[in-house]
Order: sequence, then C-alpha cells, then structure tokens
Amino acid sequence: MAELRTEEFVVNMGPHHPSTHGVCRFVLTMDGEKIIKAEPVIGYLHRALEKICENRTYSQCIPVLDRFEYCTSMSCNQVFSLAVEKLAGIQVPERAEYLRVIMLEFNRIASHLIWLGTTSLDLGALTPFLYAFREREMILDLFEMTCGQRLTYNYIRIGGVARDIPSQFVPMAKQFLATFDHKVDDYERVLTENPIFMARNQNIGVMSPELALAYGVSGPNLRGSGIKFDLRKDDPYSIYDRFKFNIPTGQNGDCYDRYMVRIREMRESAKIVRQALEQLPEGEISAKFSPITFKAPAGELYSRIENSRGEMGVYLQSRDKEKKPLRVKLRGSSYNHLQVMPELVRGHLIADVVAVMASMDIIMPDVDR
Amino acid sequence: MGIIKKLPVYLEKIPGGGIVTTSLDSIFSYSQASSLWYLLFGTACCAIELMATGASRYDFDRLGMIFRASPRQSDLIIAAGTITKKMGPRLRLLYDQMAEPRYVIAMGGCTVGGGPFYYDSYAVEKGIDHIVPVDVYIPGCPPRPESLLEGCLTLQKKVKTLKIQDWS
Amino acid sequence: MNREELAKYLLDKFSDKIEPLETGKAEPFFLLKKPEDLVEFCRTVRDDATLRMDFLCMMCGVDTGENFEVVYSLASIKNRLRFDFKFPLPYDKAEIDSVQEVWAGANWFERETWELYGINIRNHDSLKRFLLPDNWDQGFPMRKNWDAPDFKRMPEV
Repeated sequence: MAELRTEEFVVNMGPHHPSTHGVCRFVLTMDGEKIIKAEPVIGYLHRALEKICENRTYSQCIPVLDRFEYCTSMSCNQVFSLAVEKLAGIQVPERAEYLRVIMLEFNRIASHLIWLGTTSLDLGALTPFLYAFREREMILDLFEMTCGQRLTYNYIRIGGVARDIPSQFVPMAKQFLATFDHKVDDYERVLTENPIFMARNQNIGVMSPELALAYGVSGPNLRGSGIKFDLRKDDPYSIYDRFKFNIPTGQNGDCYDRYMVRIREMRESAKIVRQALEQLPEGEISAKFSPITFKAPAGELYSRIENSRGEMGVYLQSRDKEKKPLRVKLRGSSYNHLQVMPELVRGHLIADVVAVMASMDIIMPDVDR
Repeated sequence: MGIIKKLPVYLEKIPGGGIVTTSLDSIFSYSQASSLWYLLFGTACCAIELMATGASRYDFDRLGMIFRASPRQSDLIIAAGTITKKMGPRLRLLYDQMAEPRYVIAMGGCTVGGGPFYYDSYAVEKGIDHIVPVDVYIPGCPPRPESLLEGCLTLQKKVKTLKIQDWS
Repeated sequence: MNREELAKYLLDKFSDKIEPLETGKAEPFFLLKKPEDLVEFCRTVRDDATLRMDFLCMMCGVDTGENFEVVYSLASIKNRLRFDFKFPLPYDKAEIDSVQEVWAGANWFERETWELYGINIRNHDSLKRFLLPDNWDQGFPMRKNWDAPDFKRMPEV
C-alpha cells in the first residue's frame, strides 16, 4: 500500500472576521485540525496616535487618547493626566480624585460587560450579549449625564475632572448598584455552570505564570494564572489605597479562570463605587491649570494604571518650557496579550482561537494604537 | 394591508380575495429597503456603538437590519471605524465580493473624512469615499445609535426610489 | 524596598554600568553608560534575588532631534519594584541588541522600534513589517524629520 502523504496547510483568519474583536488577522499553520503555528498580523488599525500626540499640546492629547482604548476611555484620560500631574507636580483636589475613581470603576464594569457580551456571542450564546448591553446602557446614561458622551468621554483632565456630576447622578448610580449584583448572578446563571460553555473554556489556552510574566501579561489574565497582582493594590495611584476590595485570582490559567476573574472583578468594582459614593466629599473639582499656557518642565517618566484589560501605561518625555511633549509612548496591555496568543493556541483547534482570544479580552486599538 | 397603502398598486377584487397589480420596481425596492442585511464590519470605536445599536435598547432588527458575517450575504456595509491605509484594500475587496445592489454607509468622522486623525497621522485614509462609493454619511465621533438609525432610515428612503435599471 | 533604597541598591551594585538621571520623575531613572552592556545588565537585574525584575512594562525608541534614545521600563511583580533606564544612540550608529532572551515579550516592542524608527535590532528573530502596510516605502515615520506628500501637520493656532 502506498504511503499516505500529509502536509501542512495555511489558513488565513481575518482581518475581517466577526470574532476577532476588531481587525486582527491570524495566519494559522494547520496539521489536520490542529494548529501548529499561529502568527498574528496586526497594524490594520494603526492610527499613529503617538505621532499625533507629539504635535498636540498636553491638554489636546487627551481627546486623542480617548480613541486609544475606547472601551475604557476614562482610564486613557486618567493615565495621561496622571503622567502630566506627576511631571509638573500638580495636586489634584480630593473631590476630583473621588469622581475619577467612580468613573474609572464604572468604566471598568462597562468594559467587562462588553467583554462578557462579545465573549458569549463568540461562543454561540446570544442571550448574555443582550443582558450585558442592557446594563451597560445604564452606565452609559450616567456617563452621558456627566460629560455628554457615550464612548469617548474626555472627562478626566489634567488637574482634575471636566465638570461636576449633576444632582441626579448619585441617586441613579445607587439605584444601578443596588440591582447590579443580582444582574451579575443572572449572567452567571446562564454561563458559569453551562456545560457547553465549560467545555469550550476549561483547559483551553492554559497559561502558566512563568509564560505570563515572560510575555508581560497583566491584569485579569495574569490573575487568572494565579498571580495576585493588581496595580490598584500593589502600586496604588490616585486614592485606591482608601478602599476595601478583594483581588480575585484563578488557579489553572485557562479560559474559564480568566472568565471567573472578570466576573468577580465586576462585583469588586461595584464595591469600590459604593464606598466612593459614600465618602464623596464636597469641594473643588479641578486644580488651577491653564490648558493653553501650560508648559511642562523637562522630565521623563512612565506612569501606569490598572485598566480593565491590564496594565495601561504612558511614557512621557518633555522638554523644558515646551507646550508639546517630545515623545508619548502608549503601552496597551492587549499588545502583550496578543503576543502570547501563539503559545496558547498551539495544539488546539481553530474554534479555540476564538475562545482564547475572547477570554483574553483583546481589542485591537490597544494593540495597534 | 399596510404594504399596499405604501405602494402604487391597483387592487382588483375577485371572489375569495383580490389581485394586486404593481410595478416590479416598487415591489423590489420596497422589499429590499425593508431587509437591508449589513456586513459586520467594525474596525474601531464606532463598532462598539454599532454593537450597542444592535443590542437590547436600540434594537436594530426592527428596521429589518440583521448582521451577516459574510459579504456574499449582505446588501450593505456599515463602515464603522477608522480605515487605515493597510485596511483600505481589504474594504475594497469586501465591497467587491458583495452582490449588486450594494450600499455603503460611512459611519463616524474617520470614514467621512479622516476625523480626529486627519492631521499628523501617516496611517489613516482620509475618508473612505475614494475607496468605495458611499451612499450615506453619518458624522460624529462616534455617532450615537440614534444617528445611525436615522442614517439607515435615510438609506431606506434612497433605496425605495431606485429602479431596477439603476443597478449597475 | 522603597524608591530610595532601590535606587541606592542599584547604584551600589552597578556603579560601573549606570548613573542616575536627573530628568527622571516619579520612579528611579538611570542612564546606561554603554549600550553594549544592555543584555547582560537586563539579565542580571532579572536574576538578582533582591530585584527579580521579571516584567518588561515597555520598551521604546525616542527621537530627540539630536539623537535616538532607547527607553526600558522594568517592573518586578514578585518584589513590587519599578525602575526605568535609557541610553542614547547616535543617528549613524543606531543599533541595539535584542533583549528577547531575557523577556520574551520584548519581541514586538523591538520590532516596532525597528519599523518606526529604523533602529536596527541585532539577534532579533523576525524583523518584518507589522504596523505599517506591507508595501510601505516611505521610510521611518516616527522620526522627527520625516515627511511625506500626503502628511499634513496640524496648523498652529
């Protein structure tokens, strides 16, 4: 009998693919149904934000950075403001810090809800998508009444926040928080114990802690691998050291653990907002800061915060008495998460690429900038 | 009888019902406008608003708009989000793969004319109308779901006026 | 270990390799005296038991208008430490060693630096285009003196 000849073949996935969360392309080398090599091809959303920021004044950078990671625009504003504040030694008023934390945590919940909706959609469950977006709209209502936008907020500015919250904000936020935990129970009831969901996620895309660290994986994905590290606790910025909250972690580092970490994180974020609303003081909402005449002193620094996907950072280099930064380097966490993907999907099936990518919560603006 | 009121028809009653006479153009364009299936083509921020429009509160489906993952099954591209120079040829490819008649909605400032990335960016296409022909422009960064719905209604109006011989 | 202790520890241990940088704000910022030391320095700070800088936050190139600079931000997840260092590179000799073997995640950061700044990376496994279109032929766009026919600068107001 003649010997069977086998050969590898290449499958192209993307850049326009409904479940790659944007415009990511994978070139998959297959051996039968098993992936032996995956190569991400990026750059389909490279908008040159870093180049744009070099020709903008410091306060003009903030609306540009809204588009850097649009699922959590608040944290893009925050990380850049934080960098400039550290650079120029600006003290942010107490009330502004609390408003920032409230917005950041609401934004984290909103971003996790997008993740939940799209993840379940990718894995074939349509209902959680509709549930998650229902609650997300409520958060967006809160944002909209505060800063007039649904997605690109431009709310956290250098030295404070753009404007104070309207009077209906606190009652509406409390009303939302009162029911939110039950809503999370609802999501869990649909997904957590669902046999199909478990089969698609458990022991898929297992990431060891060593692998995660070598590739610079951060945020919920790192915690899913069992490393208890959260910048809000371990390198506290703003006023996060004043709140009590837990850091959920996983054990195996598979897709299911990452799912559980994010679900629990939503509850923790709700806890933080509750505390912040309780403690919210009266006072100024912005330090004295003139966006037009502001000139930064010479200096350079890398500032980082924990956003919903992981570590988001800005490296800022400034020249003395210049209105514009010399260099702005944006560090999005998905950049590293996508880089580790080939290691995670090796030996799995094509359908698992979708599951792993969804569980890592990769979105492309973060990668391509 | 809703559909008959909106179309130029001649209704002849016969025992047990009626015969409707209308022009092929009107019935074709009417049915097409009522079920514009769009290609799920979201690249950036606007894609999130597109998703929000499709989700619970805004409910895109009531306009007869259902998303499709394949260009071969869709009538409409909603270009939601920044189109970069690297993505431009792919957009053209997807457009070419669609069957006639096909429509394009440019959603958001980036697709209308470069938007916030018009200046200082070396990588962004300044408007998609030199890649594919655009039927409806929706400005905004990103446009609200209401604007998107309005844009789709505008497109439906346009589709209803088209005749079969207009299909290229 | 707080910031001052970390800075002191590093300066004591690597007195021949690094010196403190005054422009650095917030976290300890150092200047690496010789670019040739890069890989060895990185490996030492990663393996040193007191430091364990196991996490590369980011790495990037800078065009200051006079020369290039390469910046590395390191963190230790284990010991909760953080510091940065950088070193200048002349335009005509823009070449650095890859630190991929120390942190695998450096791969893409270096590839990006190569692509956008034209800083060559020695011992890198895949220096291929990835952010720019495949048929890009307009040079290195992040350089300060870069220009192209359809590139519009925002007018001063």
